[in-house]
Amino acid sequence: MGGMVMAVPVLLPIAGGAGMLALHFQSEEKRDDRLLGLLVEGLVLANSLVIFWLLKNHMGGNLVLFRLFGNLTVRFKLDLMGGTFAGLIAFLWPLAVLYSFEYMKHESRKRMFFAYYVMTYGVTAGIALAGNLVTMYLCYEMLTLVTFPLVLFPMTKEAKRASRRYLYYSIGGAAFAFIGLVFVLSYSVTGNTEFMPGGILSPEASKARRNLLLLVYVLAFFGFGVKAALFPLHGWLPRAAVAPTPVTALLHAVAVVKSGAFAILRLTYFSYGASFLQGTWAQWVVMAGALLTIGYGSTMAVREIHWKRRLAYSTISNLSYILFGAALMSPLGLAAALSHLVIHAFMKICSFFCAGAVMHQTGKTQVYELDGLGRKMPVVFGCLFIASLSLMGIPLFGGFISKWNLAQAAFSCGSRTGGWLPYAGVGVILYSALMTGIYMMSVLVRAYFPVLTAGAEERQQTKGEGADRGLTGETGQEVSGSPKADNKKTAQKEYGDPGWMMLVPLVIFAGVIVLLGVRSAPLMELLKRIGGEAG
Amino acid sequence: MKEAISLNVPGVCGMGLHFELDGFRLIYLAIAVLMWSVSGIFSLEYMAHYKKRSRYYLFFWATFFATAGVFLSADFYTTFIFFEIMSFTSYVWVAFDEKKESLRAAQTYLAVAIIGGMVMLMGMFLLYDLCGTLRFDELEGMAGQILKGRRRLQLYAAGGLLLFGFGAKAGCFPLHIWLPKAHPVAPAPASALLSGILTKTGIFGIIAVSLMMFGTDGEWGMLIAGLGLITMLLGALLALFSVNLKRTLACSSVSQIGFILTGIGMSCLLQAAGEDNGLAVRGTFLHMVNHSLFKLVLFLCAAAVYMNLHELDLNKIRGFGRKKPVLMFCFSMGALGISGMPLWSGYISKTLLHESIVEYTQVLEGMKLAGESMPGIGGNPVFWHGAEWLFLISGGMTAAYMLKLWIALFAEPDPDFQAEIDGENRSAESILQTFSGYEAHKDCVKPDAHTSSMKWDFYPKCMRKTSAAALIMAAVLLPLFGLFPHSFMDGMADMAQGFFGKSGHAHLVSYFSAGNLKGGAISLGIGIVLYGVVVRRWMRKDGQYVDRWPSWLDLENLLYRPVLQVALPGICGAVCGFVDRYLVSSAVTVFLAASAVVCRGMDQMADGVIRAARFSTHSQIPRAAAFGTNTEGRGTGGPGSCVRERRARFFSVLARLREQVQRNGRLVEESFSFGLMLFAIGLCLTLGYLLLVFWLQLG
Repeated sequence: MGGMVMAVPVLLPIAGGAGMLALHFQSEEKRDDRLLGLLVEGLVLANSLVIFWLLKNHMGGNLVLFRLFGNLTVRFKLDLMGGTFAGLIAFLWPLAVLYSFEYMKHESRKRMFFAYYVMTYGVTAGIALAGNLVTMYLCYEMLTLVTFPLVLFPMTKEAKRASRRYLYYSIGGAAFAFIGLVFVLSYSVTGNTEFMPGGILSPEASKARRNLLLLVYVLAFFGFGVKAALFPLHGWLPRAAVAPTPVTALLHAVAVVKSGAFAILRLTYFSYGASFLQGTWAQWVVMAGALLTIGYGSTMAVREIHWKRRLAYSTISNLSYILFGAALMSPLGLAAALSHLVIHAFMKICSFFCAGAVMHQTGKTQVYELDGLGRKMPVVFGCLFIASLSLMGIPLFGGFISKWNLAQAAFSCGSRTGGWLPYAGVGVILYSALMTGIYMMSVLVRAYFPVLTAGAEERQQTKGEGADRGLTGETGQEVSGSPKADNKKTAQKEYGDPGWMMLVPLVIFAGVIVLLGVRSAPLMELLKRIGGEAG
Repeated sequence: MKEAISLNVPGVCGMGLHFELDGFRLIYLAIAVLMWSVSGIFSLEYMAHYKKRSRYYLFFWATFFATAGVFLSADFYTTFIFFEIMSFTSYVWVAFDEKKESLRAAQTYLAVAIIGGMVMLMGMFLLYDLCGTLRFDELEGMAGQILKGRRRLQLYAAGGLLLFGFGAKAGCFPLHIWLPKAHPVAPAPASALLSGILTKTGIFGIIAVSLMMFGTDGEWGMLIAGLGLITMLLGALLALFSVNLKRTLACSSVSQIGFILTGIGMSCLLQAAGEDNGLAVRGTFLHMVNHSLFKLVLFLCAAAVYMNLHELDLNKIRGFGRKKPVLMFCFSMGALGISGMPLWSGYISKTLLHESIVEYTQVLEGMKLAGESMPGIGGNPVFWHGAEWLFLISGGMTAAYMLKLWIALFAEPDPDFQAEIDGENRSAESILQTFSGYEAHKDCVKPDAHTSSMKWDFYPKCMRKTSAAALIMAAVLLPLFGLFPHSFMDGMADMAQGFFGKSGHAHLVSYFSAGNLKGGAISLGIGIVLYGVVVRRWMRKDGQYVDRWPSWLDLENLLYRPVLQVALPGICGAVCGFVDRYLVSSAVTVFLAASAVVCRGMDQMADGVIRAARFSTHSQIPRAAAFGTNTEGRGTGGPGSCVRERRARFFSVLARLREQVQRNGRLVEESFSFGLMLFAIGLCLTLGYLLLVFWLQLG
């Protein structure tokens, strides 16, 4: 039975989601909500457990689900790289679902939301487990279709426009990717599109049709790059920030965009092969694209004042870190790219969830509205603090590890190929880190050290009185008298941390960031092994 | 300490951490402990009436551990990690009281820290790529090899980037901007640490870079010494102009860092010239230690002033120190020490630094006599004579601004409220009055009537006994070190010089020889003259101290903020925004429009063929009849209804079916022939193409 289980993580959520759409609840009552919640969480959790079980027992497993025609099969395979991605989403999804319950509490049409949310899980798992380019392409197209209703979910005019744009960009990009698929199929040495470490292009073809193949690679890179928000094909991502936060967080910071990056990694290292691409003009073209995006995304994030859109721009910039790693075309580059893929997932989902928690609790969406919230929502902003420092690449947090590896890979690539672009890339990464510092720290500084407004000035004065009393007491004990507290309450409506369903995922993500920052050796060893095999 | 203890923690934070404990690190660790405990004791009183004490103490101790981590680190990676943590935890000190100017200063501090950190990281990447290691002990050999080799310039680049990062923290020109801003707004015990020991972490890094990587490189030494001289002079100048107690001390820190940097530069230069660099190394180290202690004492004295008056402006704190012996003693010790008065510790380290410049000048002169000379301006002894004078003048300026502070605090009586400040007239009313004179801050002390007498009891003492004890303990060290230089200072220098790559005992310097005393005397003389002429005559107006520094001349406002806040995000942001709004969007629009036009055109093309065929070769059955069959299902009005009528009158069902079949047959026939025709056209085109290709190949 071992083989068939491979298909379960893909098919179970899709079937479950479809079933949920078909299922009819009598009314939108609380009891039904709870039932729905239990059903969804149970389904997702079960699926994650299956994935973990597979990771433990069936590494290297292989399953041909069915044959399309000729050599084209829908095939699932569990190798280390796919396993890493699958493990990542299996870890994130149940927590994100938990978060969504609280976030979506007051929304109607929950059934439809969760149905697609669960289906997306299956499709993303399909991308992770895909054993050949055809299967991945199939899942890739399906991913567009199942996430489209999620972007559309608010049903506002803005959401409709955003979702239409998302559809155009994705389908258009997939068309370019399709060209890549066809060429890989026709020039492969095995006659199919199987993923093999080191690539499957036949040597004669790669010699004879070198430039054509490189051109196709660039096209496919940018085609898959649409999902990875590669400049200038990033336009859909910031606009899709209108979707509910669980969607933007999990889908647009992790699943969808990472699927794009993952597809590029597969294409580069497992279909074309790094050795074929190394040092060619195609490498420099895609690397320049990635670097341009890094700089562009982080600069735009500084300009943006809508919090979630700012994070979306930050995602654009950070995804291109991964693509930069992919474009380095070396084992070390692959390891670095994967490490950023994993670590960025935690950092970005954590930041998005914090933004969502603030929106949910206070309804505030703009950065300038966040004054002084840091102390009112200590857990949320504590987690945001960790995520921000990590995004900036401060040591002790995960982000530093991936940036360090990326820079190492860049330098070794630069000294091996003699190109100047990898060196410039490190500069761009540092520029982007500086910009990250500005756009993330400005949020935190606002939250913790509010600029005094008229109302706040008043509070400051009451604080001063408290201080006087403290001095009078000589003991240094501060007087926290009730009048002051009253004053504070009347001055501003009290906001607090959200409920446990939101906090638990946040705290877990923040913990993982710190854990990865302090003890990254096991992860890096695994990733370097993947890199070593593929390079 | 002969043997260094080292500790490796593999696997943590990616590359693992490496610590080492040798003499230098031991001493600095001890100083850190001393400084943190003294200012910690002082903080108990200073922070007593602040509300967010717990936050302060959290970051206070967090910074201690980070700082200790920096000093114990044995590779740049570990240094960097703790360095960054330290930058972020100390940020909270600067932003602590959340006032507008504090937040602005904190912004500056954070910006310098982040940019410095990033640049340093870049340098580390480059260095790691070059040498494959970041450990100090391994770098020493590697760097020497690379300096001889082809990738020399890259090593310089790496060193320069590291220097930028560490220099930003040390307060080296032109990155000193954060010191004069951040120190006055931070709580005073924290300023003592910022100035006394956090800047030294930067110096630690610069020593590591300079002496481990470029120990034998004259050009590098020249760079550091040049930066040191500029920083030294500029800092002293800024301090002389300042009329704010803590700002003066902060600028003084910049200046003293310049002295230390000069010392590091001289160490490199002397080593590069093949001489013994013992004097410079020991001078550098001792000045580091001294400066840490001076600033601890001086900033805590400033803390005592601030916590009573909530003022730092020299005009407003005038005369505060009169009749307060503890404060006067401590401040005097610090001031005499930092001015380089013989018998105090500052004299010792400054003498050593001075001697090292003199020694290098002599070396160069000797070389000139022997007919060789070093290239460049640094090879000219005249330059070093100038440097020596610069050194003496900066020392003189140090004396001048300390004299300015001392006289303002302890000698000049306040024109209006002296009696009250001295605490001679203690009736509650007059104190209230006094205080209202000084009342400028919102969160300063507003006495309630019934507690006021108790509160002012400690006012003449100006601080609690515990604080005073801690402060005196730190202050006593300065003359103690200065009186017995051979037992204390030489001992410390012997322990520490291993870190500077020096072993063995240096020859004993007779600190109180006539030549050395002369240097000190010249410096002090310059100071007194400067004070008498410049400060008394020019910087005072109507009995008030005025700031004569042109306010527009501020490197931060003039250069950094415009570049970072306007130019960089403005230009890059504008470019990106423009690209986003116009280029990408219009590209999409244009692409869509163009493709629509093309597609429509192609659509029309195929349609055109069909339409042409219909009108010419394949003109079909009359319209009305065709309509009859086609529109039946639709059941629309017009001809359809007409047909239905006819059908009802004349045809049976079978007959209708027959006609339908006939018509369909005809339609199929016609469509088939139409399809055949299109196929024929396609075939003709292919044939034409093949002929063309054939023809091309022939030709």
